[in-house]
Amino acid sequence: MSFVSVEHLQKSYSGTPVFSDINCSIAKGEFVTLLGPSGCGKSTLLRCIAGLTPVDGGKILLDGQDIVPLSPQKRGIGMVFQSYALFPNMTVEQNVAFGLRMQKVNTDDSHKRVAEVLHLVELNDFAKRYPHQLSGGQCQRVALARSLVTRPRLLLLDEPLSALDARIRKHLREQIRTIQRELGLTTIFVTHDQEEALVMSDRIFLMNKGHIVQSGNAQTLYAAPADAFAAGFIGNYNLLDAETASRLLQRPVSSRIAIRPETLGLSLQGEPDGVILSHSLLGNVIRYRVEVRGVQVIVDVLNRAPGDLYPDGQRVALSIDSSTLCEVA
Amino acid sequence: MSRGKWLALLCLVPFAVFFIVFQIAPLVWVLIHSVQSEEGGWGLANFIKIFNSKFYLQAIQHSLEISFWSSLFGIVIAILGSYSLRKVDSRLRNFVNAFANMTSNFSGVPLAFAFIILLGFNGSITIMLKQAGIIEDFNLYSKTGLIILYTYFQIPLGVLLLYPAFDALREDWRESASLLGANSWQFWRHIGLPVLTPALLGTFVILLANALGAYATVYALTTGNFNVLPIRIAAMVSGDISLDPNMASALAVILVGLMTLVTLVHQWLLKRSYHVAR
Amino acid sequence: MSRAETGSASVYHRSVVWLLFLILLLPLLGTLVYSIASSWSATILPSGFTFKWYIQLWSDPRFLAAFGQSLLVCVAALVLSVVLILPLLFVVHYHFPRLDALMNILILLPFAVPPVVSSVGLLQLYGSGPLRMVGTPWILIGCYFTVALPFMYRAITNNLQAINLRDLMDAAQLLGASTWQAAFLVVLPNLRKGLMVALLLSFSFLFGEFVFANILVGTRYETLQVFLNNMRNSSGHFTSALVISYFLFVLVLTWVATFLNKDKSQ
Repeated sequence: MSFVSVEHLQKSYSGTPVFSDINCSIAKGEFVTLLGPSGCGKSTLLRCIAGLTPVDGGKILLDGQDIVPLSPQKRGIGMVFQSYALFPNMTVEQNVAFGLRMQKVNTDDSHKRVAEVLHLVELNDFAKRYPHQLSGGQCQRVALARSLVTRPRLLLLDEPLSALDARIRKHLREQIRTIQRELGLTTIFVTHDQEEALVMSDRIFLMNKGHIVQSGNAQTLYAAPADAFAAGFIGNYNLLDAETASRLLQRPVSSRIAIRPETLGLSLQGEPDGVILSHSLLGNVIRYRVEVRGVQVIVDVLNRAPGDLYPDGQRVALSIDSSTLCEVA
Repeated sequence: MSRGKWLALLCLVPFAVFFIVFQIAPLVWVLIHSVQSEEGGWGLANFIKIFNSKFYLQAIQHSLEISFWSSLFGIVIAILGSYSLRKVDSRLRNFVNAFANMTSNFSGVPLAFAFIILLGFNGSITIMLKQAGIIEDFNLYSKTGLIILYTYFQIPLGVLLLYPAFDALREDWRESASLLGANSWQFWRHIGLPVLTPALLGTFVILLANALGAYATVYALTTGNFNVLPIRIAAMVSGDISLDPNMASALAVILVGLMTLVTLVHQWLLKRSYHVAR
Repeated sequence: MSRAETGSASVYHRSVVWLLFLILLLPLLGTLVYSIASSWSATILPSGFTFKWYIQLWSDPRFLAAFGQSLLVCVAALVLSVVLILPLLFVVHYHFPRLDALMNILILLPFAVPPVVSSVGLLQLYGSGPLRMVGTPWILIGCYFTVALPFMYRAITNNLQAINLRDLMDAAQLLGASTWQAAFLVVLPNLRKGLMVALLLSFSFLFGEFVFANILVGTRYETLQVFLNNMRNSSGHFTSALVISYFLFVLVLTWVATFLNKDKSQ
C-alpha cells in the first residue's frame, strides 16, 4: 500500500494549467525525487502536497487520509525551502524548537529533542547563534533540523541545495540521505540537477510541462529513457532521428534512437570509418566529437592512460553495442 | 591636498555660508538665549519659570498627549493600510499610493479649513452624526478634535514609511511557520511583528517628532488659541502681546529636547530588542 | 512577490485599501463640494451649485499677487538650492566621500529642528542690524533652501550612487574630458531624473509651507498660504475654492513633471 498517493491532481494559474492530471504513489520510507527543467511543475506539485498552494481538483492521500481539505498546519508535513526560511529574530535553538512550541510540547522534552536533532545535523555548538551569523550550509542544516524535530510523516525538500556551492552541496547530499535512511522518513526531493537525483533517490519522477514523463530508479531512468525529452534531459545522449540512425547503423531503423556516449567505443584497430573532430577534457572522462558516415556523435572515453587521448583529425574505428541502443518515441 | 581638492573645497563655501546663516546660526542663538534671562545674566531661570508655571506645563502636556495619540492611531491605521496595500492588485495599489502622496500636500492651513467644513460646529459630518444620534456635540477645537486632525495627516507619512518595511517580511517565513503549526496570529506574534519592530519604532518616532513640531495646522484651526508648545513659542516672538525671545528660546529648547529624548528612547529600545544585522 | 490571495483574504484587503482611500479623500471632497456650493450651512448637503467662487477668486488681485509671490519665492529657493547643492554633492561624492556621513547628519537638522524653533533665532538675528531680512522675501528664500535641502540631497545622492559616479568620471577623463567637462556633459544629464523628482517634491512642500511665511514675513510679502489664512474670516466657499485651486495646481504640476520625466527617459 502506498504511503503517499497523488490522484488526478489538477492545478492552473489564472487559466493556464500547470498540471491537469497527475498521478503518482510513494511507498513508506522511500526517497523520491521530482526531477525536471524549470517550469515543469515540480515545485508546484510539492507545494500542493504541502498545502501552500491550493489545488483545483484531485486527491492527495497521506497514510490513507485525503489531506487536500487540511491546512498546512494540520498536515504533519515537514518542508525545507531553497532559501532556508529561518526566522531571523530567533536563535538556532529557538528556530528548531518553534514547531514543538506550536505543538505545545513541554520545555524539558522540547529541549531534549532539539539537542538530539542538532546533534544529528552536527550543529550542537551553534545553538545560540542567529541565522545571520551562519553560513549557507549551516543554515540549511538548521532548516533540516527544524523540520525533522516535529517528527513529520513526510519530508519535502524544495531544491534545498541549489543556493549552496558545489563542495557543501555534495556533503549535505550525503548527510540528508544518511539521516533519511536512519529515520526511515518518507521524503520527496525536488531538483533540476540530474546528478543529485541519480545519486540520492530510490526512485525518480521525471517531469516535463506538468506531466510525469517517466518514473523509475536511477538505472532505469538513465539507461532506458522513455522518450526524446527524457533522453535529452538525463545524461548526454546522442539523439538521432530514424534516417540519421539508419545511416550510422547501416541498417533500417524505424524510430528515433538514443545512444549513450559511453557505450560507443573508439579504437585504432579495425576499419577506420570515423574521424575525431574535436575533444574536451572533463577530468576523468574525455568527450570526443566523432564523425562517422556523415553522422556526428559524442563518444565518452575513460581517461585512463595517455594512450586514450586521440588527436583531432585522427581516423578511428567506431564500435556500437546494439544492446545498449534505446528506441525513443 | 592637491590644488584640485582645494578648488573643490572652495565650491563648498557658498553652501556652507547659506546653511550656517539660515540653519545653524538661528539654532545656536536659540540655545544660547535659552539660558539667558531678561536682565542679561546666565542661568536656568527661564526653565525654572516654565516648570513652575501651570500654563507652560499644560502646553507641554497637551503637545505630548496630542503627539502620542495621533502617532499611535496614525501608525495603527498605517500598518493595516500599508499591509493591505501590498496585497491588492497593482492598479489599485498604485492609485491609492499616488493618492496618499498627493494628500500629504494637503496638511497645514488647507487641512484645518477642510476639517472645519466637515467637523466644525456646523460641519457636514457633525450634523450627520448628531442626527444619527451617535454624538451629542462635537468640539473640533478641543484636544480630541486636534488628535483626530493630527492623526489624519500622520497617515500618509506612516504609510509612506511603513510600506517598504514590509519588504523585510519574506513569504517563505510565513509558509514555513504554517507548516510548523503556526496560525496567522501566532506567525505575527512570534515572527512578523518582532522582525518589523525596528521599522515600526522608527516610524513611530518620526510621527511623534512630526506632530510635536507641527504649527500650521493647529494655528490655522484655533487661530493660535490652543495651548501647545509651538503656539506658545511663536506667540512669544511674533504676537501682539509680550515678546520674550529668551523664554521662547527656553521653550524651543524644551521642544527640541523632547524630540531628542524620544529619539534616544528609540535607539535604546532598538538595542534591547532584536534587530537584523545586514 | 505577493501572490493574489484567495477569497476572503483578498476581500478584506481590498476593503481596507478602499477605506483608507475614503478616509484620505473625505476632507478633500468636502472642500471641493464646499467650493462649488452656492450655500451650505447647518445641513448635510449644500443647497445649490455654482462656479462663482472660483470666478471671484481668480479675479481677485490680492489672490493673484499672493499666488505669484508664492511661485516666485519657491522657484527662487529651488534655483538657489540647485546652484548650492549640485556642486556640493559632486564635490562630496567625488572628492571627499567621507563627508557623506557628516552630510547625512547635517541634513537631519531641518527635520529635527522645527521651523517654529528656527524662527525664534531668525527673527532676532535678522530682524534688524546689518543682515536685516525679516519681512522680505529674501529670508524666505534662504529658509526654503534649508527646507528643500534634505529632499534634494537624498534624492540626488541616490541617483549618484545608482549611476556610479566614479566610473563615469574615470571613463570620461580617460576619453580626454577635463573634470568640468565630465561633470557637465556626462554626470549632469544622468542626474536629470533624480533632480526632477527632488525638485518636484521640494516644490510641493515649499508651496504649502506656512510657518516661516507667516512668522518671518507675514502680510508684508503675502504668500498663498498666508493669504489663505488671512482670508479665514471671509466666506468659507471662497477659501475652499482657494484650497482646491492650490491643490489642482500642485496636482497638474506633478502630472506634467512626471510625464515629462518619463518621456525623456524612454
